[in-house]
Amino acid sequence: MRTPLLLTALLAPSFVSAQGLPADVARERADRVQWLIGDPLSPARALALTALAPNGVTLGPEGSDVLVPGQPKAVARESGGRVTLTGWDAERALPLGRPTAIRGVRLVPLGTGARAYLLVYSDAKPGKRPKFYPYAATGSQTVTLTPFTPKPQRILAPDGTGVEATEVGTVSATYAGSRVTLRVMRIPIGPEESQLLINFRDSTNGVGTYPAGRFVELIPVGGDRYTLDLNRAFNPYCAYSSVFPCPVPWSGNVFTSRVEAGEMYPAEAVTK
Amino acid sequence: MRSPGRGLGALALALIASPLAAQREWSAQLDLAGGPLYFELKTEPTGAVRICNFGECAAATWRQDGDSLRISIPDYLAVIVAARRNDSLLGYYHNVGRLGPRTIPFRARGRPDGILRAPQRRDIYGSWDATFTTDGRTSPRVFTFGDGGAGMAGAVISNTGDYGTFTGRMEGDSVRFSHFDGSFVYMLTAKLDGDTLRGTFHAGLRTQTPFTAVRTTGKRHLTPPEEMTRADTAPFRFSFPDLDGRMVTNDDPRFRGKVVIVDLFGTWCPTCHDAASALKQLYATYHPRGLEIVGIAYEIGGDTAVDARMVRTFRDKLGLPWPLLLAGLPDAATQNATQPQLANFVAYPTTLFIGRDGRIKRVHAGFYGPATGEAHTALIADFGRQVEGMLGE
Repeated sequence: MRTPLLLTALLAPSFVSAQGLPADVARERADRVQWLIGDPLSPARALALTALAPNGVTLGPEGSDVLVPGQPKAVARESGGRVTLTGWDAERALPLGRPTAIRGVRLVPLGTGARAYLLVYSDAKPGKRPKFYPYAATGSQTVTLTPFTPKPQRILAPDGTGVEATEVGTVSATYAGSRVTLRVMRIPIGPEESQLLINFRDSTNGVGTYPAGRFVELIPVGGDRYTLDLNRAFNPYCAYSSVFPCPVPWSGNVFTSRVEAGEMYPAEAVTK
Repeated sequence: MRSPGRGLGALALALIASPLAAQREWSAQLDLAGGPLYFELKTEPTGAVRICNFGECAAATWRQDGDSLRISIPDYLAVIVAARRNDSLLGYYHNVGRLGPRTIPFRARGRPDGILRAPQRRDIYGSWDATFTTDGRTSPRVFTFGDGGAGMAGAVISNTGDYGTFTGRMEGDSVRFSHFDGSFVYMLTAKLDGDTLRGTFHAGLRTQTPFTAVRTTGKRHLTPPEEMTRADTAPFRFSFPDLDGRMVTNDDPRFRGKVVIVDLFGTWCPTCHDAASALKQLYATYHPRGLEIVGIAYEIGGDTAVDARMVRTFRDKLGLPWPLLLAGLPDAATQNATQPQLANFVAYPTTLFIGRDGRIKRVHAGFYGPATGEAHTALIADFGRQVEGMLGE
């Protein structure tokens, strides 16, 4: 983990003011940049997500399911909930859901039986530096959550994995003349912890931002009031690597205006 | 984003020029969306750091890293990075979860202000039955407030156990009570309104859950730990790699015909550290009479090698003599796939008591750590009686 960039954002007022960014937004962006560029499990480093059933997944030279240059052929297979890798070293077990670092790749088996997959990250694949619109003061607004009877539903989280979310209500937001009622989902992230997330689309999608829309988290300010800061809008994992399933954009939640705030998706960022 | 300039680097270096070793105790805080969470930080010249909620401390290490000061919390793959400004530290707490990085602003004052230790009201001491409300649905918790020696200390207990020692204070009618151990970031803020405590439970940077609480009446409030998770009646089977990649199964000779405790745990879970310590006492007492223990880890780390290292550190720190195995991520899909004989496996730790016939005799969800006082003592005695009984079968 590298930290100077983040610490710089935190400590240098000139840096912050040059960008016109409030310190907490600057910090959040610096953290995201660092993660996407430097983390071995940055979504940008994902190489493949391939079904293990029915014949396993081959890794190695040209002709393999997953090309791992300079390596002989290896096979990952799933049987009875257990995934094993043969061909590179002695047969080894690949624990479910967790990455095993071996020969320049990181292998993550997911699911079992007919729904067993292998997610492969490459250490050789570069991270991706995200880009952001300049800070737009009008992008940050205080909204009131109007609750309704919670509706549990299974959706894809920003990382492309299925989660049991709860649709909890709506908020109204305005940007550049477009007023929208946005649906809000609560997504569990740990013991006692959850996020209130909004997936939205706008007129920049495909021409500056990710075509399938972006996510933004509500920040509580007390009671049923929240900060909705479109400057904090971020892309799903599928924006950095096409191996991740892309969350279906939620119905509704469309600004008819251009939300030129938050994370961008410049043309050169098209995934390979 | 640009890289840090040389001038800034020199500035930051100057800010932290004096050695950290000169300071031994800090009044620290995380700035959550709902206000400051206070804790105590103790630094040693040797490079050791303790993150403390009064007597309960998590171990960490510090070092200077370029322009910044870096406190590593190895148990939870988390760091605190800060620059020194005069007599203070200013920076952030950082870890990476499944959905990306998480950063929470951090500050510490080198002259401890004893904010947690000042005189305060004691009339909320005791046990309270709390009701959390999330999106219109309610769920029970129990709060215990008491005298921690230096100030108010206690616990927040859910159906799946407690989260370690909370510390805090009551001023006027306002209560602030929190726990930070390098992993869990929890705080409750409340006001006493007649006989009712009304407030918000804060988790992580931004989650806020409203609650009300009334004094415990003795009526059942939490679901008993034995009723949370159900097991089938077939012999219990497991098969997972150990920390060196060797498969360990229930068929291994060391488990056959023995009484076995299976500890389903994660090194990321502070309560699991408490439970493992308690199981170690049981092992010392009953292993000579035929008790075996096996730990099955559900880890959130970034890499198999890292996870094995985390579990090895956990084992070595606590001095655990039994095998520890790696099962996968602590998510519902992995849990269901790897523990098909359990229904509603939701708590860390979950303790399975396996009889000599290989069948599950009891499933205990969660654990009451030392912060829960009498509940902790009673639970350990109860586990002892359970093992005694099974050894005699």
